[in-house]
Amino acid sequence: MNAAALRWAHRNLFAKPFDTALSLIVIPVLAWVLYAFAVWVLAEARWEVIGGSLKVLMTGIYPAEQLWRAWFALAMLCAMFGAGLGLSVRPGRTALTVVALAGAVVAASAAAVVGAGAGALTAGSAALGIAAWVGVHRSASARRLVLPGLLAGVVAIFAVLSPPGFELWGGLLLSVVLTITVSILTVPFGILLALGRQSRIASLRVICTAYIETMRSVPLILVVYWIWIIVPLLAPDASIPSLLRGMAGYALFFAAYVAEYVRSGLQAVPKGQVEAARSLGMSSWTVNVDIVLPQALRVVVPSLVGQILDIFNGATLVFIIGLTDFLRAGQMILADPQNSGRTYEIYVFLFAVYFAIGGAITFASRRLEAHLARGSR
Amino acid sequence: MTMQIAQTHYIAPTRRRFLVASRWLLQAAIVAVVAGLAIWLALAVRDALGRKGIQFSFGYLSNAANISLSEGLVPSLDGVWPILEPFSPSHSNAQALVAGLWNSLKVALSAIALCTVFGTLVGIGRLSTNWLVRNLSFALVECVRNTPLLIQIVFWYFAVVLRFPPANAASNWFGGLIASRSGVFLPGLAISEDVGLASWALLAAAVASAIAVLVVGGMRRKLTILAVAIGALSAAGALGFPLSFDLPVATRFGARGGIALSPEMTAILLAITVNSSAYVAEIVRGAIDSLPKGQWEAAASLGLSRPDTLRDIILPQVFRIVLPSLANRYISLTKDTSLGIAIGFPDLFNVYGTVSNQTGRNLEGVVIVMLVYLALSWIISVCVNALNARINGQGETR
Repeated sequence: MNAAALRWAHRNLFAKPFDTALSLIVIPVLAWVLYAFAVWVLAEARWEVIGGSLKVLMTGIYPAEQLWRAWFALAMLCAMFGAGLGLSVRPGRTALTVVALAGAVVAASAAAVVGAGAGALTAGSAALGIAAWVGVHRSASARRLVLPGLLAGVVAIFAVLSPPGFELWGGLLLSVVLTITVSILTVPFGILLALGRQSRIASLRVICTAYIETMRSVPLILVVYWIWIIVPLLAPDASIPSLLRGMAGYALFFAAYVAEYVRSGLQAVPKGQVEAARSLGMSSWTVNVDIVLPQALRVVVPSLVGQILDIFNGATLVFIIGLTDFLRAGQMILADPQNSGRTYEIYVFLFAVYFAIGGAITFASRRLEAHLARGSR
Repeated sequence: MTMQIAQTHYIAPTRRRFLVASRWLLQAAIVAVVAGLAIWLALAVRDALGRKGIQFSFGYLSNAANISLSEGLVPSLDGVWPILEPFSPSHSNAQALVAGLWNSLKVALSAIALCTVFGTLVGIGRLSTNWLVRNLSFALVECVRNTPLLIQIVFWYFAVVLRFPPANAASNWFGGLIASRSGVFLPGLAISEDVGLASWALLAAAVASAIAVLVVGGMRRKLTILAVAIGALSAAGALGFPLSFDLPVATRFGARGGIALSPEMTAILLAITVNSSAYVAEIVRGAIDSLPKGQWEAAASLGLSRPDTLRDIILPQVFRIVLPSLANRYISLTKDTSLGIAIGFPDLFNVYGTVSNQTGRNLEGVVIVMLVYLALSWIISVCVNALNARINGQGETR
């Protein structure tokens, strides 16, 4: 064992003079950084601030007596994520153990910090997610229900969350719901734009290309802000909540990126497929819907899942239209003079949560890519 | 399309005319719908503004801005000479936007240069034979790419730069770098006042010959020109060198001399550089991976060491492959500078917000800012495409 470890170290750390020099510099620095961080996390950091502000971080100013709605949304989101996972990742023993352990850790922390009720609800949501994962993976008929189920889930979340008013949405809940809604809205719009850009009708092609290229050259923050100010001008009588205006801005912006992914997928479909379908007498609508799109979308699914991460990361920009997302909620807590010394605690927590969600999305995207690559071989 | 139909089936001339006409009608209908939509949008906006008593016009641009910006230079005329001067509230709104653009470009160009260098290093680190370096680079890339840029910017500003020691207590690193919470100060080049025109001319000659060394071919000629450059440089030094290092000196509220970066500028530059480096690293790593393994093996069998192979064989090819991807990254980076508003850095978008709050002219401003960003994206892609054509064109003729 010891000899094996030495051999490993020799091969991986001290193989050549240059590697040895690098290792000799990196190892002490890394050890010192890790040690200092561990000391800070375990001894110096005052994590009570997280427990005290967890409600604001997670839901913003959502009324406390209506929190059951947020719990419902959490359960729905877990089930939706599990169902999505069921399509691509096999619930093997290791994967199940890892996910169950992660769920248990989160639930236990929720129980310790907030209370037993919160812990039980978190554990229940995690269990629901795992059940959806296994169920979708096992049964083919459940797999066919995933897509309508996801749409119904989003509608249900909106229906349950909206009664207290869109202005009250906030925290991580706002970030996640905005991300999912925008991800779903962009897909049909992006497909239409991509088809328009490939169209044989010149005017349609020019318009779609101009739209896509303009959106891809301007910053997201500008588009979101612009849509937010122009909607009340166009519809002065209807008071449309900021959240919906913001979602419209995100959808219009990211649709251009979806269109480019879909276009790359369309180009990956061999020309012979289209020609064969045409020679069978299919109309261009049928060719697109039945022959080209199913093959093209299969190629772009990993990119579309990866794009969910871009939307989630971009969701931090809603501060520009006065909404309180997860990051903004953290900043609001730091603005309280009582918490002014807790900067690092809050930021480390925010980073950890963002990284956990972002890492999960990246992981899902990579697994899907591998899964689809295996299928097409 | 009609040609294809004509080749495969017999189509009566009347029917063919009908098909052609319907295609043209469809085109006209699409154009009409889009034009109608645009006109409806414009009219609705004009009506809405009219109800508020505002008229859509760009006249406000020449009015005095009456705002103050923490930094930013504007071009103006000193007699007949165009000069750059710090923005002041008496400047016009247009000049305020130019000052914002100046700040955006300042960050974007520095970040482009820095992230290319660091990104390449991290990208090479991702493929290092050293396990630690490889995994540390991987961890850095993953951490940066899986968290939002905005939290990185905010973190660098509130948790790093504003936690630097105050200026009078800040340590002086490497003899010339002061990092304090009132900003970062770097050594700069200063122009000595009391030198003659002759030494300036000699310096210019030295710079020109240094460039010529890179351009001309032939070892003999290169050496001759190099000798001329060194001669001119030492002659300039003997006459009194026109440039000198300007080291910053810490004072109570900051530092004098050198190049001063405001805390906001430092934070956004650090955040965007680190963020883009991670993306550049992935681009470079992908490009190195995409090169055939035979390149490494052939170099190794010729006795080249791994660093030599990387420098002389791999990287020159990598830079040909990565240019289009780098162009996209540079465009994203330039757009990312608009997040400066979160920490109060007066970039173009932030200045636009301030100006439109003052004047109530949101829509005119959006048109300007949008056009500026379109132009910037376009300029970056044109520059990189030109470079791409030059480099890859050379490769073909060789």
